[in-house]
Amino acid sequence: MAKSNRFDAIVVGSGMSGGWAAKELSERGLETLVLERGRNLRHIVDYHTALQDPWQLPHYNRPSQQDRAAQPIQSTLYLYDQSTKQHFVNDREHPYAQAQPFNWYRGSHVGGRSLMWARHVFRYSDLDFEANLREGTGVDWPIRYADIAPWYEHVERFIGASGENAGLPQLPDQVLQPPFEMNAFEKHIRSRFAAKFTDRKLICSATAVLSREHNGRGPCQGRNQCARGCPFSAYFSSNGVTLPAAAATGRLTLQPDSIVHSLIYDDSKRRVTGVRVVDAQSKQTTEYFARVVFLCASTLASTAILLNSRSSRFPQGLGNDSGVLGHYLMDHHNGGGAVGSYSRLADRYYRGRRSTSMYIPRFRNVAHREKNFMRGYGYEVYTSRQNWSRGLETPEFGAGFKNEITRPGQWQVYMEGYGETLPYKDNRVWLDPDRPDPWGMPTINVSMSYRDNERRMSEQMMADAVEMLKAADVENVSGFNRETIPGSVIHEMGTARMGRDPKTSVLNNYNQVHAVPNVFVTDGSCMVSSPTQNPSLTYMALTARASAYAVERLRKGEI
Amino acid sequence: MINRRNFLQGTSVLMAHAGFSQLVATFLASRSAVAASAGDPIFLSAAELGRIAVLVDLILPETDSPAATAAGTHEFVDAALSACASPKQQATFRRGLAALAADGFDAMSGQERLAWLQRRAASDVVLSYDESFFKILKDYTLTGYFHSEIGATKALAYERVPGGFQGDIPLAADQKAWAI
Repeated sequence: MAKSNRFDAIVVGSGMSGGWAAKELSERGLETLVLERGRNLRHIVDYHTALQDPWQLPHYNRPSQQDRAAQPIQSTLYLYDQSTKQHFVNDREHPYAQAQPFNWYRGSHVGGRSLMWARHVFRYSDLDFEANLREGTGVDWPIRYADIAPWYEHVERFIGASGENAGLPQLPDQVLQPPFEMNAFEKHIRSRFAAKFTDRKLICSATAVLSREHNGRGPCQGRNQCARGCPFSAYFSSNGVTLPAAAATGRLTLQPDSIVHSLIYDDSKRRVTGVRVVDAQSKQTTEYFARVVFLCASTLASTAILLNSRSSRFPQGLGNDSGVLGHYLMDHHNGGGAVGSYSRLADRYYRGRRSTSMYIPRFRNVAHREKNFMRGYGYEVYTSRQNWSRGLETPEFGAGFKNEITRPGQWQVYMEGYGETLPYKDNRVWLDPDRPDPWGMPTINVSMSYRDNERRMSEQMMADAVEMLKAADVENVSGFNRETIPGSVIHEMGTARMGRDPKTSVLNNYNQVHAVPNVFVTDGSCMVSSPTQNPSLTYMALTARASAYAVERLRKGEI
Repeated sequence: MINRRNFLQGTSVLMAHAGFSQLVATFLASRSAVAASAGDPIFLSAAELGRIAVLVDLILPETDSPAATAAGTHEFVDAALSACASPKQQATFRRGLAALAADGFDAMSGQERLAWLQRRAASDVVLSYDESFFKILKDYTLTGYFHSEIGATKALAYERVPGGFQGDIPLAADQKAWAI
């Protein structure tokens, strides 16, 4: 518990963005309170399943019907099993309303989704930052690549990431450790791409997983069980990296079980003076005060806190003069791709479990303008040799069958596109105060759908995937283009967007609420568009940048 | 069994973290606790468990690695079906068990039992998973065996902590597939 209710800074949320705010603000001298709605979860010692063998886990790692009943949404996630289920919320205890189907995957613990994320870290480029202005969608990003580039580097140097620089303008080069090695099949695909395409290449994804030791962490031990928590600190999480750095300053107070109800706005000062917190256990309300507040609670949760912070000055939610708060929700879509197999290279194998994918950077709407859709997509590419599961659906059994399926099978490849979704005003979140959750918070309602641009893009995602696998001599190529439920990529973005004009945006170019200069929102809710690449690195860079700016303004007495 | 040397290879830097040895201690303590569980069947009757034991060994018999029952696969089928299968899958499985008993499985010779399972496999292959006794049985048999310590380490190759990643190595003649 906090000893006092007064701090220099309050950070709401301890995940990807909150951990960075905590580190940057405390390292710059601010007494910082981090409020986390979920339980405490200590690095390493609380990763109870991290070293369990399959046979040590309940039902050998298979979720039970009871698990699915408690976590009907979370249990649909590819990561969900007996070894990870404790890192996802009980959906019954954490309700939200879906006006249209929306999968909200999340945890309720210190570290948030930085504990279970898929760790891909790519930069955005000016192709992304200029897209809205160029094409007349949404509003213009108030920043350009040059504004954020030093902060990308700052973040990359600290988190430690491995991977391969593509040397492409649309995917700027990064500070990376050497990549994990490609397997023989991937090397083959890469060489075929090089021979057949001028605009497409296969690279090892930039990933916040260490291939070399870094600041006493790692390297990766090849377990690929990251979502259990890494006892080797080999991937980036708040728990293992930013929160310890913040704690080392002696200026961090980390308080779990603290659900932020709303921000306290002072009409005369025209500033937020603090936050109202509901204790997750006792359900009692306490107020905490600070000179500056960082909202890093996640896209939907930060916007919900702003919407729930009503006052005579802000009857529609704090900072919502424009009326766009809650609107322009985005997520990537990944319904288009292809699979195939490869019967050659049967004499090659691999050892260890690589915890990242290969990647094909965006090539659509880069050099040429597509007729059918705006923006583009990159692909994640996964390959392996088949294991025993290839025997599940066949009628065979017996000694010959057992001998066959215990040997490595054919190479197989699975690739899926990650496409940009345009900002639509009616893709949105809003609050329903008539249906409070167990802590008295209004229910968050979500309504989001993909539209024609995404559907046309998804068709091309499939067609390109099929074309590329065939070009690489892959056999049994089969494309897919399936409907996906928004939220499923877990890249929900927007709803408190940045912008140049207070009339059409919530945040300025430093993630500062236009009308309330001591409130910053630096998680995914600030996003103005949803560029193809995975967004977490950008949240971290924007958070670090906003933190430095906030401290500078505080020192000058301007906020 | 845990091999400390193998387990810790390449990780000397990590031992400096106070939490690591605590986690390892918890892990070692938990191993013995999990091993000591056995009891009456949950989903199956004792007679049904006996029949399932015969079937799982027909699916995965002893080869250069032990048979399914040696890894307790029939007990996994019983416990996991009870906890993890949907009501519809459980109902399908119960019908399959009833057919097994009605066909006089207990009195069959080894050859007749093999023929029974072959017929069932051939007729079930066109059915959906939820409606197929054979597919459900095979799923739980393969999962239970290959995720058991015997299955993962003797029939397949298992490394709890591989120590890193080598992307492109020759496949040795006797190399089993990785368990996970």
